[in-house]
Amino acid sequence: MKALMALRPWLGVLAERRGRLLLGAMLMLATLLSALGLLSLSGWFITATAVAALSASGYLDVFTPGSGIRFFAVSRTASRYLERLYNHDTILRLLADLRGRVFAGLVSLDARTLSRARASQWLNRLTADIDTLDNLYLRLMAPPLVALISVVAFAAFAAVFLPIAGLMLFAILLPLGLIATAGCAWWGWRASHRRVDRQERLRVRAIEQVEGLAELSAYQALEAHRELWRREEQSLLGDQRQLGRRTATGNLVVTLGIQLATLAVLLLGLTALREGNVSGPVMVMLALGTLAVSEGLGNLPMAFTQLGATVRTAERLNAQAELKTPMTGTSVKDEPLISSGAAPSLVYQDVDVAHGEQVVFSGLNLSIDPGQRIGIIGASGIGKSTLAQLAVRAFDPEGGHVEFNHQDLAGLAPDSLRARIGYLTQRSELFHDTLAANLRMGDPDASDAELWKVLAQVELKSWAETLPEGLATWVGEQGRQLSGGQARRVALARVMLRNSPLVILDEPLSGLDADTATALKVTLDAWLAGRTALLLGHDRQALPVCDHCWRLVPGVSGGKLV
Amino acid sequence: MLAGIATLIQMGALAWLVDQAVSSQAALGEVSVGIVTIVVAIVVRSLAQWGQEVCGQECGLRVKQQVRARLLARLQQLGPVRLASRHSAGLASQLVDQVESLEGYYSRFLPQMVLAALIPLIYLIVVFWLNWLAAIWLLIAAPLIPLFMALIGMGAQRLNEAQFQAVTRLSGHFLDRVRGITTLQLFGLAERSVEEVSEVAHDYRRRSLKTLRVAFLSSAVLEFFAAVSVAVVAIYIGLGLLGYIQYGPAEQLDLFSGLFILLLAPEFFQPLRTLSQHYHDRASALGAAEGLVTLLEPDVDDPDVDDPGADEANVVADDERPDKAESDVAELVPGAVRLVTVELRHAGRERILGPLSIRVDAGEVLAFIGPSGSGKSSLLQMIAGFIAPSAGAVQVQRYPAIAWLDQRPLIIQGTLAENLRVVAPCASDEQLRSALRQAGLGQWLASAPAGLDTPLGERGVGLSGGEGQRLALARVFLSPAKLVLLDEPTAALDPETERDVIAGLTRLAASGRTLIIATHHPAIMAMADRVYAIEAGRLSRVERPISSREVHS
Repeated sequence: MKALMALRPWLGVLAERRGRLLLGAMLMLATLLSALGLLSLSGWFITATAVAALSASGYLDVFTPGSGIRFFAVSRTASRYLERLYNHDTILRLLADLRGRVFAGLVSLDARTLSRARASQWLNRLTADIDTLDNLYLRLMAPPLVALISVVAFAAFAAVFLPIAGLMLFAILLPLGLIATAGCAWWGWRASHRRVDRQERLRVRAIEQVEGLAELSAYQALEAHRELWRREEQSLLGDQRQLGRRTATGNLVVTLGIQLATLAVLLLGLTALREGNVSGPVMVMLALGTLAVSEGLGNLPMAFTQLGATVRTAERLNAQAELKTPMTGTSVKDEPLISSGAAPSLVYQDVDVAHGEQVVFSGLNLSIDPGQRIGIIGASGIGKSTLAQLAVRAFDPEGGHVEFNHQDLAGLAPDSLRARIGYLTQRSELFHDTLAANLRMGDPDASDAELWKVLAQVELKSWAETLPEGLATWVGEQGRQLSGGQARRVALARVMLRNSPLVILDEPLSGLDADTATALKVTLDAWLAGRTALLLGHDRQALPVCDHCWRLVPGVSGGKLV
Repeated sequence: MLAGIATLIQMGALAWLVDQAVSSQAALGEVSVGIVTIVVAIVVRSLAQWGQEVCGQECGLRVKQQVRARLLARLQQLGPVRLASRHSAGLASQLVDQVESLEGYYSRFLPQMVLAALIPLIYLIVVFWLNWLAAIWLLIAAPLIPLFMALIGMGAQRLNEAQFQAVTRLSGHFLDRVRGITTLQLFGLAERSVEEVSEVAHDYRRRSLKTLRVAFLSSAVLEFFAAVSVAVVAIYIGLGLLGYIQYGPAEQLDLFSGLFILLLAPEFFQPLRTLSQHYHDRASALGAAEGLVTLLEPDVDDPDVDDPGADEANVVADDERPDKAESDVAELVPGAVRLVTVELRHAGRERILGPLSIRVDAGEVLAFIGPSGSGKSSLLQMIAGFIAPSAGAVQVQRYPAIAWLDQRPLIIQGTLAENLRVVAPCASDEQLRSALRQAGLGQWLASAPAGLDTPLGERGVGLSGGEGQRLALARVFLSPAKLVLLDEPTAALDPETERDVIAGLTRLAASGRTLIIATHHPAIMAMADRVYAIEAGRLSRVERPISSREVHS
């Protein structure tokens, strides 16, 4: 029971659309009741006509039941069609909500958590997990509810004619429903819960096999790795086999139960018929109705043996939400940054930063005056980018503080701070959109002329002019249509469009050939005039001219500036 | 099948029972035969259904296993060079998830298709025997169903394809935005993109509803016919029983046959309805199969089949290589390499390498230098056997193993020991430790509490770039490989770890292995016996910057 708690946040999302969900369930119910009406009324009608034919009078009102039968025939078709359409619309709405929700959760994560989770594998899993949750309503919530209502309704209906038959329907169908839902869920739990992770492990093995193919085939070790793959595959198939068997057994129990209930109703009816308590047509109607009402139970074992998988998916999405650092929780009371457009100062005072066990900085001090240009050089992985991330408040230092124009960043709303900072990250992150749209991220109001101007500044104008679609050219997923150097310069142009008083450039010239790098150094030199700048690079040559250049070196207790 | 016949018997007995009771006022004791028949039929039917499900599933599981095995073999055949251009996560999802979606087709749709053809036929014959007019009505209704479904299916097919594209774009968009989340935050666009993400998802919803409207029509048609048939049969039988219908066989109807027919009417449509429920299994399997077949098909730009010039050269190479290689390889000491007028070109394009010939003796250390794109890596890949030369012969003793090391060492999910044993399954713990020490990971091992059982990979301890590289080095020490090919082994490392890795390389060379290294690093060039520059596809000997290898060892 406790395990089901993982579903709670997602039930909350469902609850936001409860009107639609209820209506969808009603349509499902209408479909089931139409089928019930059709079959039981037909059975009643035929028996009644036979009885009437046998008896002397031979008269029967055929028009009322006849039109009833026609009505149920049409209403079953119509309600089924509407139900499917409506419920799929609901599910797609829910999926849109869920995506939005998860994305909003991700946006509020801090940079360190994100960098841990950026692997595209993780992302693929995330999308797949969201899609899996659509099962929740369409297969796990609405059908058992509809089945319950129809069973109770039909049993009550039967009890009106023959109380003992009604009681017996309750006694057989309700426990049967319990077996089909809770029983199957419990029985399939372990295998289906585990299956999600096993499938994930198989995926990991597949990636290893693809990425490590060179190494594995050179060592003639492919077979050894295949063995690992086969082991994972076997255990996955084993789970699936077990689940399939158990689903089949669940179906077997449900079918047996339903058919025996039908027979039991019939026999009870027969006894009552002989005692004259019930008429022949009604007896047939009740028996056929039992057969029809059970249609609602038929799909439950299949859905519920897989409950574990849905819960596991929800658990994984929840875990991702828990990655959140407490910082975002305090952002409510953060004040907006008050500052003019003039070049600000940036001061790091006794800053301590640790990534887990590893101390990055301990008591680091750095002061950048307004309009000053400071370069920091050092080997990769030593903490240069951490300096930049502290400045944009991607996360807060464990000790000491960072001040923007003498205001402690710890009390500032990240958005208002980031609006004053142009930060070129180490990776050129471009979006699957047009060149213009990627550039306009820096300045949404920039005119085409301004875009061309900034492209000229980063030496991309002549290239962009050769593109048949010019600024409307799509840059491809993660900017893959561009070369590394072009992507770098597009990212730089985006930061330049931002026109911010404080600029942080992390390896601005990486991936560029020597000529372009030299030209860009000159451009940047002019553009940086009048701005406060923090420039990060692996050596002096990789940076434009600085007022002062520090070297970040590893020390016993984290990086030191020398 | 058995389930179908059992259903038939069950319904027949049920109808007989009711007929006896209502028409003949029979006592419960008199109909006990009927009751027993029903119970037996119910049990047989349920068991048969169970058997069908289990067998279908087994079939689905086997198909998946086979398809996966074939895909893996295909990946191996494509080789690391041609796979490099593909997205590994995408390939993995093809191997795992897309193959997964084949199961429903084999375990549910296909068996159901056979049933949908056979079972209604049996029912039809029985109904025909009972009352031919009712049978004719069912007969008319039944073929109409596949006809309508086909008509609607054709429209849906096209819409489905459009839908498929929309899904791909949708998840593409989502992935793209999540990847760039840091940038979105920095530019203050996070809020706006949250709206954008759900807007795109809603747009997708509107689009797919158009598809669904049509797709669901097909099942509605089926539903309609099934329902109307039941209704028509019921009314016909009722009126017939009352004697209102004088035409045809109506007069022979009694309660038994009437009820029997009524009970069979829905069962007649049930297999078809089940089939249409499994229809989406077919759709998703077809979607997946398309992608898988493209992967399994030979590549169009396969160098072996494309370029006529290369083709010719290949014929020669293929004809000569086996025996020549065999005889020569037999002479070659493990670790030695001989290239004889080797050429390499991409299909239809100019030559990348060659013609070049070189001879490397066992235990030598060779360095290849040259700007990126000059063909250093291709040369190593050719020696490793990942790509075949367009002309000439590569003679290498590739068994039992050669060692390969590039910038991205393979780290499999599992313990440190498992990671090492991939190349030497029988190595003892002591051998593993010694290999780690030689690769410069001795201290790391000492500080890891779980030692050789330290879990690595996604859920385990992350290794830094330098540690990963040294793990790869440890594999080399562990493996029986005499020839070690290294593609820019220090390119992604900082100076300190670079020094450690180079020290490990020096120890490797000292252990008598042949090292062939593509590099830019002066220290590695310095430890080489010979250094070659690759320019315009040709090798030229370069004098080493610092004199000798002894300085380092």
